[in-house]
Amino acid sequence: MTLMQRLSQRRSGLTSSDRFVYWISVPLILVLLVYIVFPMLATAITSAEGGGEAYGGFISGSSGKALGLSVGISLVSVFTTCVIGTGLAVLLTRFDFPGRQVLRIFALLPMALPPLIGAVSFYFLYAESGIIPRFLAAYFGADAAAVSANGVAGVILVHSLTMYPYFYLAVSSALSGSDASLEEASLNLGASRCRMWRTVILPMLTPALVSGALLTFMVSMASFTAPQFYNVQTLTMQIVASRTSGAYSTAAAQSVVLSVVSILFLLIMRWYQNRRVYRSLSKGTPQSLTVIQGFIPRSVAAIGSLIIVVILMAPAATIALLAFTVDGSWTIQILPPEYTLGNFAKIFADPESLHPILVSTQMALLGMVGCVLVGVLAAFVVTRWSGPGKGLLDVMVMIPWALPGTVIGVNLVTAFASPTPFNLGQVLIGSLWILPVAYFVRFLPLVFRSANAALAQIDPSLEEAARNLGADTLRAIRTITVPLMSRGILAGALMAFIQGFGEYVASVVIYPAQFAPVSVEIYNRIYSNEFGTAAAYGTLQMVLIVIVLIIAQRLEKPRGQRGLRQKVATRTALPLPVMNT
Amino acid sequence: MHSPRLRTAIFAGGVALTLGLTGCGLGATPQDGSGDSAGGNTLTIYTARDKGLADSVVADFVAANPDFEGNVEVLTLGAQEALERIRAEKTNPQGDIWWGGTSQQMQQAASDGVLSAAPQSVIDAVPAASRDADGLWVGEMKLAEVIVYNHDMLSAADAPKDWDDLIAPALNDQIAIRDVAASGTMRSIYSAMIDQRFDEAGSPEAGYDWLRALDANTKVYAANPTDLYLRLTRQEAAVTAWNLQDVMLQIEQQNAPYTAVVPTSGAPMLVDGVAKIADGPSSAGADAFLEFLLSEPTQTTLAETYFQIPSIELATEPSWLADLNLKEMDVDWSRVAENETAWIDYWATNIKGQN
Repeated sequence: MTLMQRLSQRRSGLTSSDRFVYWISVPLILVLLVYIVFPMLATAITSAEGGGEAYGGFISGSSGKALGLSVGISLVSVFTTCVIGTGLAVLLTRFDFPGRQVLRIFALLPMALPPLIGAVSFYFLYAESGIIPRFLAAYFGADAAAVSANGVAGVILVHSLTMYPYFYLAVSSALSGSDASLEEASLNLGASRCRMWRTVILPMLTPALVSGALLTFMVSMASFTAPQFYNVQTLTMQIVASRTSGAYSTAAAQSVVLSVVSILFLLIMRWYQNRRVYRSLSKGTPQSLTVIQGFIPRSVAAIGSLIIVVILMAPAATIALLAFTVDGSWTIQILPPEYTLGNFAKIFADPESLHPILVSTQMALLGMVGCVLVGVLAAFVVTRWSGPGKGLLDVMVMIPWALPGTVIGVNLVTAFASPTPFNLGQVLIGSLWILPVAYFVRFLPLVFRSANAALAQIDPSLEEAARNLGADTLRAIRTITVPLMSRGILAGALMAFIQGFGEYVASVVIYPAQFAPVSVEIYNRIYSNEFGTAAAYGTLQMVLIVIVLIIAQRLEKPRGQRGLRQKVATRTALPLPVMNT
Repeated sequence: MHSPRLRTAIFAGGVALTLGLTGCGLGATPQDGSGDSAGGNTLTIYTARDKGLADSVVADFVAANPDFEGNVEVLTLGAQEALERIRAEKTNPQGDIWWGGTSQQMQQAASDGVLSAAPQSVIDAVPAASRDADGLWVGEMKLAEVIVYNHDMLSAADAPKDWDDLIAPALNDQIAIRDVAASGTMRSIYSAMIDQRFDEAGSPEAGYDWLRALDANTKVYAANPTDLYLRLTRQEAAVTAWNLQDVMLQIEQQNAPYTAVVPTSGAPMLVDGVAKIADGPSSAGADAFLEFLLSEPTQTTLAETYFQIPSIELATEPSWLADLNLKEMDVDWSRVAENETAWIDYWATNIKGQN
């Protein structure tokens, strides 16, 4: 309404690209309203039942304390994941050393941890009866209870080791898209390496760091499994307790506060990022890899990367270990005493048990396609929209990331249970479509943030140049903007697919009969305490995801040095596409 | 023109879309059968029961009612998720049966208006104390909450015999407890403990004191049942309180080193129910299933093979149960229902982890 008025009022002064942004924003906003905003409003409405009484707990005590704890843990998690993720990204995009290729794959492995046994693997590693405390106790006489991960420290450990990919992916795509000539210029002007990093590279990385910080902060606010495992009374724990006791309006109020805090953080980060412009007009060659020379530095690097790989893949390796363990045999030993192939045999013997893997693969793929289409469009609109309302659009996309998964699942079922004007008459429950829709809603923020960070580094004048040379808007976007942001899109799509593949909390509330996703099947096995087969399923899932990661890396990597040169040539000669037609 | 990367991405997207739209390889499950139009004889069950147990009961049901061959869908999910799902689907119910939930969860659904009455024969078979007054849900079984210990860690002589032994100094740092606030079962056990001590002073204080002492002896709160079994089996803690059926199944199926002790002062017995979802796709199917499930032959089988304590009267008690001398603790469940939220909130805020 107001949008249309504004459109007609300002049409005369609009450039064609402005007009394009407004036009595509209409369907975009419609999609966001129908699939995200209207369904999620249900939570706010439930919380207001009883006249806001449900919010009382925040003033009188326990919920307020829990909120403080959640915020504290999330801030520390942002810090630790930032250090790990950024460190890894710099290491892997800037240096060449023995073990680099392996590390590149394993850096993303924590994302592939199956949701339910992922937490269990941390138990088998770091709890009092876990491998490491028992090992330290047996060989170094340490007190197993004292060296085990516990309480808040345990939660932060799990968060740090599972959430750093948000930073890692964003920063590495920003670093590989940066222009070496800027760095050379600053060095030529006499800056030290340290100063160059501080004044040139870090500022250019701001959009990527903001994206990582946002995703990490919000997801650790909404994290439940880790606090539950280490018994830390965070707000998410309170939400589950309220739901269990049937106090739905209290649970809704707690969810609303949780998302409001996350959204405040989002707005602060937006403000911080918008203080400066991070665009670079030149789209030159990224900095080439520094090859580490000399025997000693190379060995140090090799051993260092080996240690990092071991730490990163330990949870995944534990799951694989469990998959080969005889159920119930591993009790007081450091490592399992009996091994078997029986768990895999059990899965492969029943042809039906591979069905969930098919379901999850396809539903996650569909969800990912939706995320890419809408996420890239949304990022484009948010970045190029001139005028107020950008922040609101940003919030609309990000809301689901700030809510616990169960809340999203329940809201989606409620919203698409029967035809209403708000869902445009679509009934999705009981149909297969509800799964990809849920994955789309939950993981859209991943693609959006990642594409957003990529776009923030691209100057619109590149697009304008293409248009001046005769390309229409769509063509300019397709041939200039999208290729330049492709790393960001790919990174986001990868995250969306991987997380959709293993999604449990929302899936279990929505999955249609006959189409149980992998996570539900894993839950069934764990529930009957068949750890071995659950872990075998989890291992299959991780193998599949590693294959996807390898393919994605092939996609991302320019084919050898020759390919790189070619790309540079087309980039420096931007007008070429016009002549090509 | 396009970069090769973009082309590959578009190609991959296209493949994804085609795969997704055609639902490649999906829908080929054996249960698929002839679809849902076979005279309305379809049945969708949401169950929080063990998948093996549910599948075997459904197989027997289909054998007894061949009309349902290939038309029964079983969705496994936790009791709380089942409740949330049924509530959310209220305007367009997708399930017919909700099988497995505490009486509090069932009552919640009943008062939300998402359940409808079981057939009269089923209502009549279940004692009034174990069901909703109008039969909106019926208790299928009783869960006896008992003390469990790892017999590799404690001898029978040192093992606790009654609830009060759990707070003795001897068991300091020996107890693992399934985290209370997020578990319907544990909420009931803790509330029962408070209720037991309520009449002395007419307030929950005595109960709170008892729970403080238990908290002091509690080494770890386990995140979920699996976590609880792990910590017990892997000898992080020696003792817990849990329901008898699950313990017996763990001993039998997983060879777990557990021994169950029926407390001398009695075990709180929790009703676990089954209900017909209101306006589900197949009302007749739901009735048929409830009648089958709560029939004496089915319950006898479940009692003998799955250690269930049926709520309906059986002609002969299963032998394992007769040997146990199970005594029910006298709990004022209506008082518990009234106060559970306040009591457990107090416990979570003021007692848990602070002693």
